[in-house]
Amino acid sequence: MPDLTLTAQPPLGGFSHDFGGAKLAEIADHALVSIATPNGGEKKLAAAIKKSYGCALPRPGQSTLAKDGDTRLLGLQRDQMFAFFAHDGDQALAAVANKLGDAGYYTDQSDSWVMLRLSGELSWTALERICPLDLHPDVFAVGDVARTMMEHIGAVILRDGKTDFVLMSARSSARSFLHAVETSIRNIL
Amino acid sequence: MAQINRIGEGLVDTSRTLSFTFNGDTLAGHPGDTLASALLANGIRFVGRSFKYHRPRGIFTAGSEEPNALVQLRTGAHQEPNTRATVAELFDGLTATSQNHRGSLKFDLLAMNDLLTPFLGAGFYYKTFMWPKSFWEKVYEPLIRNSAGLGRLSGEADPDSYDKGFLHCDVLVIGAGPAGLAAALTAGRAGARVILADEDFRFGGRLLAETHEIDGADGVDWAEQAVAELAAMDNVRLMSRTCVHGAFDHGIYGALERKTDHLPKSGGKPRQVLWRIYSRRALLCAGATERSICFGNNDRPGVMLAGAVRTYVNRFGVTPGQRVAIFTNNDDGWRTAHDLAEKGVEIAAVIDSRDGTPPAAPHGAMVAMGSAVTNAAGRHGLRSLTLTNGQTIQADCLAVSGGWNPNVHLTCHQRGRPVWRQDIAAFVPGGDLPVGMSVAGAAKGDMTLSAALKAGHGAGNAAAKDLGFTASRKAAPKSDDEAADVTAFWQVRESKTRAWVDQQNDVTVKDVKLAHQDGFRAVEHLKRYTTLGMATDQGKTANVLGLAIMAELTGRTIPETGTTVFRPPYSPVPIGAFAGRSRGKDFRPYRLTTSHGWAEEQGAVFVETGMWLRAQWFPQPGETHWRQSVDREVTRTRGSVGVCDVTTLGKIDIQGRDAAEFLNKVYANGFAKLPVGKTRYGLMLREDGIAMDDGTTARLAENHFVMTTTTANAVSVFRHMEFCRQCLWPGLDVHLISATEQWAQFAVAGPNSRKLLQKLVDAEHDISNEAFPFMACAELTVCGGTPARLFRISFSGELAYEIAVPARYGDAMVRALMAAGEAFDVVAYGTEALGVMRIEKGHAAGNELTGQTTARDLGLGRMVSKKKDCIGNTLSEREGLNREDGLTLVGFRPVDRATELKAGAHFVVKGKPVTTENDQGWMTSVAWSPTLGHSIGLGFIQRGHDRMGETVIAADPLRGNDIEVEIVSPHFVDPEGERLRA
Repeated sequence: MPDLTLTAQPPLGGFSHDFGGAKLAEIADHALVSIATPNGGEKKLAAAIKKSYGCALPRPGQSTLAKDGDTRLLGLQRDQMFAFFAHDGDQALAAVANKLGDAGYYTDQSDSWVMLRLSGELSWTALERICPLDLHPDVFAVGDVARTMMEHIGAVILRDGKTDFVLMSARSSARSFLHAVETSIRNIL
Repeated sequence: MAQINRIGEGLVDTSRTLSFTFNGDTLAGHPGDTLASALLANGIRFVGRSFKYHRPRGIFTAGSEEPNALVQLRTGAHQEPNTRATVAELFDGLTATSQNHRGSLKFDLLAMNDLLTPFLGAGFYYKTFMWPKSFWEKVYEPLIRNSAGLGRLSGEADPDSYDKGFLHCDVLVIGAGPAGLAAALTAGRAGARVILADEDFRFGGRLLAETHEIDGADGVDWAEQAVAELAAMDNVRLMSRTCVHGAFDHGIYGALERKTDHLPKSGGKPRQVLWRIYSRRALLCAGATERSICFGNNDRPGVMLAGAVRTYVNRFGVTPGQRVAIFTNNDDGWRTAHDLAEKGVEIAAVIDSRDGTPPAAPHGAMVAMGSAVTNAAGRHGLRSLTLTNGQTIQADCLAVSGGWNPNVHLTCHQRGRPVWRQDIAAFVPGGDLPVGMSVAGAAKGDMTLSAALKAGHGAGNAAAKDLGFTASRKAAPKSDDEAADVTAFWQVRESKTRAWVDQQNDVTVKDVKLAHQDGFRAVEHLKRYTTLGMATDQGKTANVLGLAIMAELTGRTIPETGTTVFRPPYSPVPIGAFAGRSRGKDFRPYRLTTSHGWAEEQGAVFVETGMWLRAQWFPQPGETHWRQSVDREVTRTRGSVGVCDVTTLGKIDIQGRDAAEFLNKVYANGFAKLPVGKTRYGLMLREDGIAMDDGTTARLAENHFVMTTTTANAVSVFRHMEFCRQCLWPGLDVHLISATEQWAQFAVAGPNSRKLLQKLVDAEHDISNEAFPFMACAELTVCGGTPARLFRISFSGELAYEIAVPARYGDAMVRALMAAGEAFDVVAYGTEALGVMRIEKGHAAGNELTGQTTARDLGLGRMVSKKKDCIGNTLSEREGLNREDGLTLVGFRPVDRATELKAGAHFVVKGKPVTTENDQGWMTSVAWSPTLGHSIGLGFIQRGHDRMGETVIAADPLRGNDIEVEIVSPHFVDPEGERLRA
């Protein structure tokens, strides 16, 4: 009997490429856990988050950064946020649940999404070709997050640095999404 | 060939020479030239043939309104027909050919059409080709289509790439002439985010073509300084070669940017980008287009618009003729005379239709006031003119000005109607503009430079202020008001020969008269009857002329006559630009399961289901027909064990205190009492009582369920449930999130499936039949600690499970399953075998859940619980859905077991004719059952349950065979369900 231990595989095999002015790299060392607010439980959840993460509940379209500077809570819609944090392994759900207890409903989304980091001065020019949103630095500030469509593919975009964007899209169409983003970069170089 | 008509520098760079060819002749031009200016520089006036009559045509304008000078650019697959020479930028190596002629440009065989004029007037095909009727499609239409038309497509796939994009701004300024530049400057200085777009490759608009002064400096220099100031502003984006072609809802504008059309090669980059511009305010500064006057043979090469002639001389340093005459009804025409004379061009005459004292004329020019041109002579190029008094004037170029039409097009894209202004004899924008748009400059009827600058300056400031910016206090640029009087004059009635209104579509004054005579007098009728304004130029130089002549004929005023509707695009947009990247395999995204790579290694044949690529079957060496592979996969699964990737089924994570109650409401059958650790089959109805989707839902914890949907309905079911949650029962504590992508899920089916799984599931989890019976579910670990979910459910009818692991382990999991299954001769099976087994078992799928069938039709009527309410419950009780003779899902087998059933066949009672009245139902799914050794089918037939054993005809008139089939139970294999409980 062969060794049947299962080895994890990121959706794009750890893709990374520096195009000069824009760098695109798969994020494989982060977890994503959705947190739903129970009806009427907003205060309790806010308190638990304040206590465990030292930050506030994000409003939809914004994110808050935990005191440790690692976990970022992305406000995606009413009563739903994603916790985005560095994590190695498959116990992301427990990592959040252990901190917040029964204050929210949690679903591991780490494997649902392909996550790409687009960084560099040319990020905006490249994103103009696929992202319908206004990403002007004054409009889409650091920490802002939004759901949108890129080349007909549903996506989440987060700006988490001066010239840094995190792009998330469904894992199954990761290759189409990568192609869309890569083409956008190549087309403007 | 020398550039015999190059008389100066203009704004071209004569220090560099570019080489290009026209119809094979090598010619020279300079950077800054258009193809049209370079052709004129080389003394070429005759550049193409007209649409219908194949009349020789020349260059008529100097801009995007050009009706005549359409050429084919480039060669091979890159060839592009109908390119306007007047906007094609010259580059080294450019290749252009004339179009729409048989034989050479000079000796076009189809020029005989011009002699057939009496037969080819407006609406000729409605009248001429009536008989015999059958000839229309087969003879007349192909003949007409073949002889008409303009350029030819290459017939090859477009090798260029195109892109799209999205831009946002506070103020979009459309057009970078004096008004646009002034507007962009003020809006930009106020701090607004400005986009300035112009279709030309150089900013300046008419300033580039004139000799005006602004703020004491040369107009061109002023434009250059303005552009430099704008370029230095971070908040301003300058977009040349960009045509804003449409005004859409909510301040959204379409724009086409030509990225590499001016370069010999695109270098692998998109040739054009189609932008969607989101603006808060838009300033239309699109200028005006000059119009012609109708007189005999006014389409001769060499007859041009006066403003264009001036453009060639001033901007390009090219004179379109050696001896130029001017025919005008306004002061602007005189400007052409002066500018040309200034550059040393001989002015033969200035003919002004207005009476009175003439303005000062250039030295040596004959002046004829109150006169007009009746005819132009010179078949391949103008030679002479005849005036109303019979006088003949020798000239090789006639500059015509019938006044200027403000470019109101974009103001009309949302049904705005322009209004007539008698003082400038032109339509100006009406009051009903697209939201956020205002108009300034000549586009609004500010026909002098000083007025345009002032209006642009004011409009830019107003837009900025409106958006909360502080307007800059800098004064508007100043210039003199030039003379701009005009007296409407549309046609020379004394002309005896044909006079063209719309040159591109070959519509003459006579055609307009014919339309009037035939009763097509409304402008929209006029347009359709004569094709006026319907060509690629959309009648930019023709429309107003046509309707003015109609107004004269009907005795109505021009405002009473009205205008046709302008629609996007303002200028032609290649279909390739609309397609953008959506070509070939990038037409739409594709989705892959986590076992895709492994399945490829196995040589799987894939099928598209929605956007998913799923393994359809796995051919083995020696198998030459797909049926061999599928039969093997079915037989070995039923004989031992098979593995199939079922990740594509929708998975919805449902949590909340009221999750059970919620499910009880969306499913027709009860879910409130489903114990933790159990899975249940569920049927969902639409509000109208029709079956919507089915699947299984497992209760993982008191307040935590996971639902599966069919692959096809994964999104629509999620959307439906979100609607229920948010709109129908907002008080329930329920939260949904898709988990389809999170888990890689595999069906493990067959009598040895448990044994296989026991090798992978970690030992502390007991999955024996007793501990983990049929319909059990559990969260457990596999392969030494990897989290997993196990469901004991069966689609195949065998002892079966579905095992899910986080998607990151999907690839490893399929390999582990196949390795662990080696001892049991495990087989991988695809969607085809999956389908065969579900038909053998009698499970409904997409073919049966058609959106027209009810739970009762599917034989699941009793699942619609009457002990509770659920979506669709009440309407499922409608009489029409509960008829005695309603359809029922049953099985069918051929009486002659050797025959093959066909899905889509309709059932008719034996002996009755195959007609719609006798139709009793249809075959939904068929398969070759390797288990039974013959073809089997599922289908709907009236009163099916009462007719077991009856033989009916499965009629298939389309494919021409009628088969006798026997009605049987839909459960062909293991009807008692013993296997799946084993």
